[in-house]
Amino acid sequence: MPRYYGPQIRGGASGVKLSLDTTRASVSGDTVDIMVCFNWEKYAELEQELPLGINTVLFYDNAPPKKGINLPERSFQVGFSEISKELTGTTAAKNIVALGLLERILALPENLSKGATAQDHASALLERNGLALNAGKRLLLEFPFAELKLSPPWDASVKVVLHGNAAVAQGAIRSGCRAFFGYPITPASEIMQEMQERLNHGNGAFLQAEDEIAAVGLALGASLTGAKSMTATTGPGLDLMTEMIGLASGAEIPVVIVDVQRCGPATGIPSKSEQSDLNHAIYGGHGDAPRVVIAAYDVEGCYRLLIESFNISEYYQTPVILLSDQWLGQTTVAIDGNFLTRDYSVCQRRRPGGEYQEQYRRYELTEDSISPMAFAGDEGLVYQATGLTHNEKGRPSFDFATQQRMHEKRWQKLAPLRGKDELVEVFGTEEARRGIVAFGSSAQFVLKTVEDLGLQHRLKVCIPELIHPLPDKLASFVGSLEKLLVVEMNYSAQLHHYLRSQLDLPSDTETYARAGGLAFTRKELSGPMTKLAR
Amino acid sequence: MMKESSYRTGVTPVWCPGCGSFALLNALTGIVLPNLGTPGHQVFIVSGIGCSSRIPAYINAYGFNSLHGRAVLIAQGAKLANPDLTVVAIGGDGDFFSIGAGHLPHAVRRNVNITCIMVNNFVYALTKGQTSPTTPYLRRGEGPFLSLQFYPPVDPVLDMVSYSVSTGASFIAQGITADVPHLGWLIQEAIKHRGFSFINVLTPCVTFEPPQFFKTIREKASYLKEGEPVELPDSSREQPWLHDSGNITLALKLAQTPVLEKPHIGIIFRGKES
Repeated sequence: MPRYYGPQIRGGASGVKLSLDTTRASVSGDTVDIMVCFNWEKYAELEQELPLGINTVLFYDNAPPKKGINLPERSFQVGFSEISKELTGTTAAKNIVALGLLERILALPENLSKGATAQDHASALLERNGLALNAGKRLLLEFPFAELKLSPPWDASVKVVLHGNAAVAQGAIRSGCRAFFGYPITPASEIMQEMQERLNHGNGAFLQAEDEIAAVGLALGASLTGAKSMTATTGPGLDLMTEMIGLASGAEIPVVIVDVQRCGPATGIPSKSEQSDLNHAIYGGHGDAPRVVIAAYDVEGCYRLLIESFNISEYYQTPVILLSDQWLGQTTVAIDGNFLTRDYSVCQRRRPGGEYQEQYRRYELTEDSISPMAFAGDEGLVYQATGLTHNEKGRPSFDFATQQRMHEKRWQKLAPLRGKDELVEVFGTEEARRGIVAFGSSAQFVLKTVEDLGLQHRLKVCIPELIHPLPDKLASFVGSLEKLLVVEMNYSAQLHHYLRSQLDLPSDTETYARAGGLAFTRKELSGPMTKLAR
Repeated sequence: MMKESSYRTGVTPVWCPGCGSFALLNALTGIVLPNLGTPGHQVFIVSGIGCSSRIPAYINAYGFNSLHGRAVLIAQGAKLANPDLTVVAIGGDGDFFSIGAGHLPHAVRRNVNITCIMVNNFVYALTKGQTSPTTPYLRRGEGPFLSLQFYPPVDPVLDMVSYSVSTGASFIAQGITADVPHLGWLIQEAIKHRGFSFINVLTPCVTFEPPQFFKTIREKASYLKEGEPVELPDSSREQPWLHDSGNITLALKLAQTPVLEKPHIGIIFRGKES
């Protein structure tokens, strides 16, 4: 159920698109089967995202404007507001009237809407909602069609209902995150709100910071004492965090930063998706500061990869940026909940043992370049760290060989991540020589379109969840292709350029990249995909 | 000149001979930590960027020389995650009152139990003598006080002590590097105070200020003693009052006294603990 709202976040135009086919998760059809419109002026703002199809059944409250709207054949004016007013004394229950009508049309089981209306605790209100609901149900008789019998659910396994932002927060708790610091920003605020709820029982540290510099600074302070610490934001917040990300990289402090991307640059369109922070996530900041960049492409991934982000961050002592986006973060889906109860390995930071008691060197050059890290407070392991170039003991150093060695240490320690095959998903037949690379929520649209076009046997699709450092499995996928298509939602084709900087791409490589805001449709993706398959 | 202390590391300070930061280092390692008896591993010193911010490397405690203006953030995060630590944030006037000024009122209102020590030498010394928000404002012909400052400062001073009082910091004190034992005592009191503590430490910059600048401050300094009359500058028409560190109105009056006329040394305000 994607949410549609404008840059006036607290109000204004808003809509939701509910897909009753849970197998399609957040990627429903390009047009809708049934639409209820309460306000044509506001609809005009969302029309690009919620177009009417010729087969759409439309119910609307007030007469549409004379110009600009082509009503489909099956359009019906229903006085939702009027009925609501008559029965309840207010027009506020017009949505409940509509719910009653939809319940009958779709022949939904009675108990579904009962649960929905009971959410309002005031019983007087409940009673009025009940009246409105029944009035809506009776409306069916006024229309020239019978109940649309829906086929029984295809996939009846246990469902959980959540969005990517909630999955991120739940993953954080699962991985043992004990410190969260954030600053409100659309479309990432839900993560902070859920973490506040979950860390507010004496089981961790939570603060709403004064800005994003503070949020990540607080997280680094907590991390230095051994707490798994994180923050969540979107593009403008990531900008402010950039200097601290460099510090975390240089001083090797674990921290997880979630970036729920939105349209940029500057304020952009705060309420819409884009994948334009990729360059910033990989390269942002001065002075060659390596970090790990991971991108979730579905809600399950938001949960699993948040745990993975902490594992990598803690094990490799590095900042990890987990990319999500507005679509993924705020689209509520009903999905199989098994992933919430599955076993996940949870990784702990490597700490110095007894052997170091006298001569602990915080940045000791070890074989795998990972130096055991004491927690501030550990006895016998006192060290002083700095954002200055430092030697193995953490002392400031102005030796150029040390500068070189410490760069090598920080970059080389991340090299084994390239072998993390499980963080690269490949779909389709291995023999195919034509393939698509996509990441983040765009990948969902790519997968669905390939399926809808029946191209599974002609095209294979690679979705890297680990983006940086570039995984070997992604390299071999690209290496196996004669024709490559890179699909991404940003104007300058950032993923394509990143791949090109690291790999020999097939001479026949195309990109489908455009600015964000509007979700990809199957119609638009089918062009480049059909061409690729030809 | 350096007192032997088990709280010192073997690292030699980078400061100029005669720098006020030595006094702070001596106060911390020779007085504060030995007197409190806190073992080094239970202490976390966080600093920003600037001359005085090199201090963590010289103290045998957990330490982190972080980013310009951000020490107070790292310090709060550490304290929240491990309340058993004694956490001290140290920085200069540029750190706390220019680049990091926006963080201070929030640290104050949260009243997290950390101690902030602002080593105020009234100048950007590390970058060679530029004006800081605390550099005294001079009319043309009055200065310049700062030897290498080509242009005299034209903007009024941001009065850091008044600022801390007006935002409601729960412990506010002013110390002077010329008196290490007293500075040590002040820092101990600040650490013992359960809440956010702010200490403005008046410090000379021996390189970028002419000697008479700090000499003036030192000579005019007067010590605040609980229950005794406060000294007021010659320009003041007010009757001296008896010092009451629990009275925020009187604290604001003390804080607003121009530092070159009558620097008050001591505990200016001690309020509610967290």
